[in-house]
Amino acid sequence: MKNIICLFLFLSVCVSGIAQTPIDSIQTLDEVVLSDSKLKHYAPGFKIEVLNDSILRTNANSLTGVLAFNSNLYFKENGYGMVSSPSFRGTNASQTAVIWNGIPINSQLNGQTDFNTINTTNYDDIAIRSGGGSVQYGSGAIGGSIHLNNTLNFKSHFDTHIRTGYGSFDTKKGSVSSSFGSNRWSAKVGVAYVDSENDYEYLDTSKKNVNGAFNNLDFNFNLGYFILDNDVLKLYQQSFRSDRDFSGTIATPGQSRYEDKNYRTLLEWSHLAKMFNYQVKVAHLQENFKYFGTQSTVNYSFGKVNTFIVKPTFNFRFSEKIKLKTSIDYTKYEAEGTSFGSPSRFNVSATALLNHKVTKAFSYGVNLRKDFTSTFNNPLVFSVDTEYAVTNNYKLQLNGSRNYRVPTFNDLYWQPGGNLDLIPESSYQVDFGQQLDLGFGQLKVNGYYITTKDLIVWKPNKVGIWSPVNIAESNSYGAEVELHSHFHFNSHYFKINSHYSYTVSEDATTKKQLIYVPFHKANISVAYNYKRISLFFQHVFNGEVFTSEDNLKGRFFSLKAYDVSNIGFDFAVLKNSNRQLSLGGRVNNLFDKAYQNIAFRPMPNRNFNIQLNYKF
Amino acid sequence: MKNIFLPLFALLLLTFSCSSDDDDDTIYEEVAPLGAYENGILVSSEGGPSSISFISEDLSVSENSIYFNVNNEDLGVYLQSIGFNNDLAYIVTDSNNTITIVNRNTFEKIGTITTGLELPRYISFLNGKGYVSNWGDPNDATDDFIAVINLTTNAVETTIPVVEGPERILANGDKLFVSHKGGYGSNNIISIVNAISNVVETITVNDNPDEMIVNTAGELVVLCGGKEAWTGNETAGSITKINTTNHSVISSFDFADGVHPNLMDYSNGTLYFQTSSNKIYSMADSDTSLPTNSILDLTTSYTYGMAVKDNRLFVADASFTAQSEILVYDLSTATETHSFSAGRGASKIYFN
Repeated sequence: MKNIICLFLFLSVCVSGIAQTPIDSIQTLDEVVLSDSKLKHYAPGFKIEVLNDSILRTNANSLTGVLAFNSNLYFKENGYGMVSSPSFRGTNASQTAVIWNGIPINSQLNGQTDFNTINTTNYDDIAIRSGGGSVQYGSGAIGGSIHLNNTLNFKSHFDTHIRTGYGSFDTKKGSVSSSFGSNRWSAKVGVAYVDSENDYEYLDTSKKNVNGAFNNLDFNFNLGYFILDNDVLKLYQQSFRSDRDFSGTIATPGQSRYEDKNYRTLLEWSHLAKMFNYQVKVAHLQENFKYFGTQSTVNYSFGKVNTFIVKPTFNFRFSEKIKLKTSIDYTKYEAEGTSFGSPSRFNVSATALLNHKVTKAFSYGVNLRKDFTSTFNNPLVFSVDTEYAVTNNYKLQLNGSRNYRVPTFNDLYWQPGGNLDLIPESSYQVDFGQQLDLGFGQLKVNGYYITTKDLIVWKPNKVGIWSPVNIAESNSYGAEVELHSHFHFNSHYFKINSHYSYTVSEDATTKKQLIYVPFHKANISVAYNYKRISLFFQHVFNGEVFTSEDNLKGRFFSLKAYDVSNIGFDFAVLKNSNRQLSLGGRVNNLFDKAYQNIAFRPMPNRNFNIQLNYKF
Repeated sequence: MKNIFLPLFALLLLTFSCSSDDDDDTIYEEVAPLGAYENGILVSSEGGPSSISFISEDLSVSENSIYFNVNNEDLGVYLQSIGFNNDLAYIVTDSNNTITIVNRNTFEKIGTITTGLELPRYISFLNGKGYVSNWGDPNDATDDFIAVINLTTNAVETTIPVVEGPERILANGDKLFVSHKGGYGSNNIISIVNAISNVVETITVNDNPDEMIVNTAGELVVLCGGKEAWTGNETAGSITKINTTNHSVISSFDFADGVHPNLMDYSNGTLYFQTSSNKIYSMADSDTSLPTNSILDLTTSYTYGMAVKDNRLFVADASFTAQSEILVYDLSTATETHSFSAGRGASKIYFN
């Protein structure tokens, strides 16, 4: 926890330092250390919240655990550790894009990312970008996007970080990462492992989560090398595999098993120059699953997609104030699976992002993208965004965009039912935000409106076969409030992060709230540090959700609102500049509350874990 | 005592449901006490959550999720079917490999069968035993079986191996007729199990045999769906009549390409069936060809179950994301007379 404070202070100094340097050097720096510099430099009118390394380290290892307590996203988990999907601003699971070092990684099979198959241990930061991002990130960035970033550090250093933990339900965690840097080289390698029996009690029943064991292994390797003074070559590699027994419901215990494998490799060459620079990215992604209906069977169904991407980008700086980023993206998808044969498709997109900083206080962006896909037509998408600093500590942000989501391989080719006549879902939105710096903290208030048509919905067709059709239309609107605060009394440091969202997301025809979208969600986390001792408390409130489209209330139609709290501590046993050893512990679901975020699938009772951290 | 508590409990439930989703309490005040389900219509909904609804015989009252209301627990998914034997109802849920036994009049739980079943589908009764069709591992074509239940101990006492995808099971004389729809795939077999020797004979019919009835003439009538066009190998659906003594096919009425029969019932000597064009046809036992004119064109969005009694047609219009609807038609006028809500995925309609 001390680390959080240190890092925070360090960042504050950095930010205030950076603010005085010319803008292009920040960008150049970001182009060196980041793969996705457009996340920061072409989005003046978008709300972006960055969860840095210290927040990631004090939270659960899964992306679900991190975001449930530190963002406005609502999560639906089929039991702890099982398939997890988000609802961002009232949109559905395939309308939140997950971006790995600038590359979209949502499954080509179902359009979603299972947030429990992302282990956050090896990322340096995770950014939450609210609002439409299809111009920058393509299909599915409708509610918003989640960015998993690795940064490369070219400062001379060599660090190793070892973490190990043990907790309830026979949960074992371990990770090792080493980071190395010199003038020309930067390298980082990390391994993280989690294994849990996950056999928690179903509170208020005599039952247990009998078929919920899981384990996963994440391997990360990032490398950067300056071939020439202005040319840097970067390699990002991630391998993730997980093996899960799928939990069932209270009345129907699970029997099935699911294996995931994901491989992601990105090679990037950047030429750095002041007025004109360019980059070429080449990436390969592979997603691969196997589903076994029972524990004993050798029969399984599977799905596999290989994605190949080539993406040249050209950045023009016409002046200190105007810059333009253009890119061409060629992506080829090759799929194979039990229920959809072996279809493939390719996609070519052209993107132009223009950013104009008119004055120090006022900037805007105009962004365009057009995709050409082998199997269907894509809309021309755009976004315009602007930021205006009314005073030094009060800022307005506004953006409007058109976004889309393409049909997945399942939607198109699933046998039976796949529908080759599908067209992409199309969405328009506006988002207005205000940011107020209060000195001791920052307040953000946003309001948005999203309308989406041609939503792809699977329903029985006239001969009784489930088939997807572009049938529904939804409207979502809502308000979000975020408060981030930090202050101290002598050596007592406090940091508070909180989020509240009010979300209305309804079917345009029936005017009913969509299922699994809570009207209210709120969370707060409070961190405290005094010398060697750090404490944190976090709490999430999820409002009632409907589980049935008729919006009735009761056991068969809705899920009750719930509150969950976690508490933790960390004690620095050893604390000097080249060696740090700390012992920590946490209690999840402190008040032992029974709750579900998918109907009939209980979440864990109170549980404990302890953790040892050693950094040298 | 139970007879007093049940109506009270039901009234209490009604009070709650009134206050939550209906302001007009007076509608419910004249309602007769619920809780006794001995006369009326039962609708099973697959789920999830699965549930069972009750509609009174005179169609004046209905109650959803009766199993939960009585027993305060859920049945699990997916509720495939219910079989009735004397005073008991056997509720078959496939994914949890369970049969839940209740009193068919009160719906109080009496017991469960939880071992020896693997993806159970339907149950039938003969000579004091229960016979349950099981898919086994749906990806394995060779492990399908009929589980024989000792109705005293409620344990599986033996299993009879059968070919892939046993679906409906119908007891007649000392025989059990089993339609093999094929599970995840497709099949075209009717198995005939001799319940005394457990010897199995098979006969071949059109693809995807599903519902079966025995008509007044004592013939076994099988509805075969045929393979749909999407399979890339469309085959004709049929209504096939089989001699229950020598197991020969008496007649088979094939449907034209593009039309596949889905659902069937038999009432007062008349066969009723629904086709993929969502039309209802009727056919007399003596008819020598398929009817050409429908008696009713449905407007339901997903016709997932049907049953006929006393010239009334009951149709389940299933929704899997909201409440389903049960529609009642007067067949003499071909008009809709009543509608009721039911659970998620309403599929089977039984007359209790």
